[in-house]
Amino acid sequence: MSSHRRSPVVALGFAVAALAAAGPAQAVNYPPPSKPGTGKGKPKGPHRTLRVCKHGHRCFPRIQDAINEARAGDRIKVAHGLWREGVSISGSGKRYIKLVGDPKHPDKVVLEGKGQKKANGVLINGADHVTVNGFTARHYRANGFFVTNTTGYRFTNLKAFLAGVYGVYAFNTRGGSITNSEAAWNSDSGFYIGQTPPQVKPIRSMVRNITSYGNVLGWSGTNMRYVTITKSKFYNNGAGIVPNALDSEKYPPAEDNVITGNEVFWNNFNYYDGAPFKAKPGGTRVGDVPFPIGVGILLFGGRGNTVTDNDVYGNWLVGIGALQALTLKDATARDLEGNQVTGNRLGLDGTDLNGRDLFYDGNGKDNCFGPNTGVQVVFPESGATMVPCPFTGANAFDQQALATAVDWTVGDATHEAHYIRHDHVSKPGITPLEHYTGGVK
Amino acid sequence: MSPDPLEPLDPTIGRRRFLQVGAGALLCTIGGERVSLGRKGDAVKADAAAARVKRPKALKPADPVDALTFGTPQPQPGGRAVEYWVQATTTRWPIVPTHRDGWHGVPVRGRTTFTATVYQLMEPGFAAPAGPAAIPGPTLHAEVGDTLVVHFRNALRDLGQAATMHPHGVKYTPDYDGVYLGDLTRAGGFIAPGEEFTYTWECVPESVGVWPYHDHGPNHTLNTFRGMFGSVVVRPKGDRGPDVEQVLFLHQLQPPVTGLDRSFQCINGRAYAGNTPTIRAKPGQDVALHVIGMDNNFHDFHIHGHRWRDPSGTFTDTPGVGPGETITVRFVEDNPGRWLYHCHVFSHLDGGMAGWYLVE
Repeated sequence: MSSHRRSPVVALGFAVAALAAAGPAQAVNYPPPSKPGTGKGKPKGPHRTLRVCKHGHRCFPRIQDAINEARAGDRIKVAHGLWREGVSISGSGKRYIKLVGDPKHPDKVVLEGKGQKKANGVLINGADHVTVNGFTARHYRANGFFVTNTTGYRFTNLKAFLAGVYGVYAFNTRGGSITNSEAAWNSDSGFYIGQTPPQVKPIRSMVRNITSYGNVLGWSGTNMRYVTITKSKFYNNGAGIVPNALDSEKYPPAEDNVITGNEVFWNNFNYYDGAPFKAKPGGTRVGDVPFPIGVGILLFGGRGNTVTDNDVYGNWLVGIGALQALTLKDATARDLEGNQVTGNRLGLDGTDLNGRDLFYDGNGKDNCFGPNTGVQVVFPESGATMVPCPFTGANAFDQQALATAVDWTVGDATHEAHYIRHDHVSKPGITPLEHYTGGVK
Repeated sequence: MSPDPLEPLDPTIGRRRFLQVGAGALLCTIGGERVSLGRKGDAVKADAAAARVKRPKALKPADPVDALTFGTPQPQPGGRAVEYWVQATTTRWPIVPTHRDGWHGVPVRGRTTFTATVYQLMEPGFAAPAGPAAIPGPTLHAEVGDTLVVHFRNALRDLGQAATMHPHGVKYTPDYDGVYLGDLTRAGGFIAPGEEFTYTWECVPESVGVWPYHDHGPNHTLNTFRGMFGSVVVRPKGDRGPDVEQVLFLHQLQPPVTGLDRSFQCINGRAYAGNTPTIRAKPGQDVALHVIGMDNNFHDFHIHGHRWRDPSGTFTDTPGVGPGETITVRFVEDNPGRWLYHCHVFSHLDGGMAGWYLVE
């Protein structure tokens, strides 16, 4: 590798490295990681329902007051209203608690972070199998909904807007689910599952029917494992779904995830040119190196990940891409291994094309691309790096392809010079977002 | 599971019906606990015992063989890693969905639906069902040189007990055996509710054929008896297989297992012609029926109007098949018409172990 090529490659590594990890460390102090799961089982009950309302009788005036009173397995019902607090559910004594707002109308039970000392709308630490159902969280300095150091959680019917880092976030957890939720305008990613401990007999995390738009990333997954993301929409983000491998968290790389049956489109949001959130250096770049935008799905390193049966269209840099996790200190975890990109539909039947449908630098082994449908443009143009599935053996690394892709990212002050633009189809209720023009509060 | 000498007869069942259906008390050993399944609904006792079986501790070798470590097999050159996603789950299963015995044209009265434990084919990542929750479980296909990579999830959350997948015929290391061995259990022998495990099995040349797989966790007999089984089909590389192929499991569903009032003699979880598989073929077609015994009994598989060579080259039309055994019936179709196929143990065929074979 010549020196003039090495530097941009490394630079891209840093660029992608910053995609998911730099933000939180700078934003707040998080609970230290511990072994997820208390080993304590399901509480036997009887369980109570504690009510939270501002003016009623037999109500707790604050959500936190009810949580402090609650025992494991209790249900806490929160009335409609604007709740200016940050809620903490901590320790095994609070396991299996159900925190319920209005599952049918999450907009009516709002956690407001503006002016709050608490950095998270809801923070769950070490309390297994907690349910949070039917809330909106907005304007929190760190995250809207955050769970860490647990086995199992259920996040459903949630909306997370304008968080300083992530909208909905699970870190160092085993199993859990995120469903029927929406995240937008978060200054790092809308949704994020990270640092999943490796497990011989894993408990899968299920993500279903979520919508993520207007974020730097729709989904970030640093060192995430055993996650299935399905029946969800990722659009109008800088990049749609990015499982990645970084040293900033334990247990790289991302492994054994399945991304299937999703719609990933129009992820061309140039937040560098303006956004409703503050585009923090930690959240969008490292030093002078920016993140790439215009990307649908990107595997930055990883093993055993499956990307299948997705509709990917209108992403103007790359629809689905994969490249080596260049920055990892642990060389054994850098290479792409056993990843499959197959059965996806690119370009919406030719009506809403990606700039390039597929990109793969050919790093690693046992990786395969295809058959996918609707593929018109791949990079490298020869397609030599992309062998059909199933495939076993070393892949054909293409140094020049990688160097060119690196240049797309680091050699472009506009961030858009390498977009290949096409017309979008019209979609009721959704407007393509390339440059933010205001209106979001 | 074996007959319990202390409880030879369920007193809630009349002697005539007992003789008709062959019901009897059975004795299971579940995690070292002996559980008698003699009466209707006794499965609850076995499930409770299975739920008490604790996760085996880290393996302490009792013999040098227990200290051996093994890798994960890879496909042979030119072979594939053939992936399946399969979950263990429960389902309400009608044994006689038409409520009729199509052979005799008479109704089958009484309750026929019970809660089965089954294997279900899922989409990648368990994102959604890819097939019904049914008896038998999905048929897993591969060729010689391939590895079968089976992502198994135990979704038996309500039963709260470990489960596994144990295959026949393919080659595997002890980690991928899928058998509970108490304190000597290897990785794939105890998959707790909510957990997943990826089995990797080699399809070696000697694997060619059709084989069963079934639960071999702590509650293996009860779970297998109530539906946790399926088949593995391994062909030579490039072999397109016969024109008509059907796997038929012969087994009983008895009151202690189902909680129903009577036993059913079943093929693929169903009883009586019109409910059991109806097989169709045309003259000249290469027909293969793979018959597997999946209970405590020996069966004789018979098709009216047909004959074929057994492995010794002798013509037969009623070969025997024992528990866990597969026989393959293969012939070129030459005789149009409506035919019965059935087990030739008379109490079995009279209890529902029969079906239609229709040749155009």
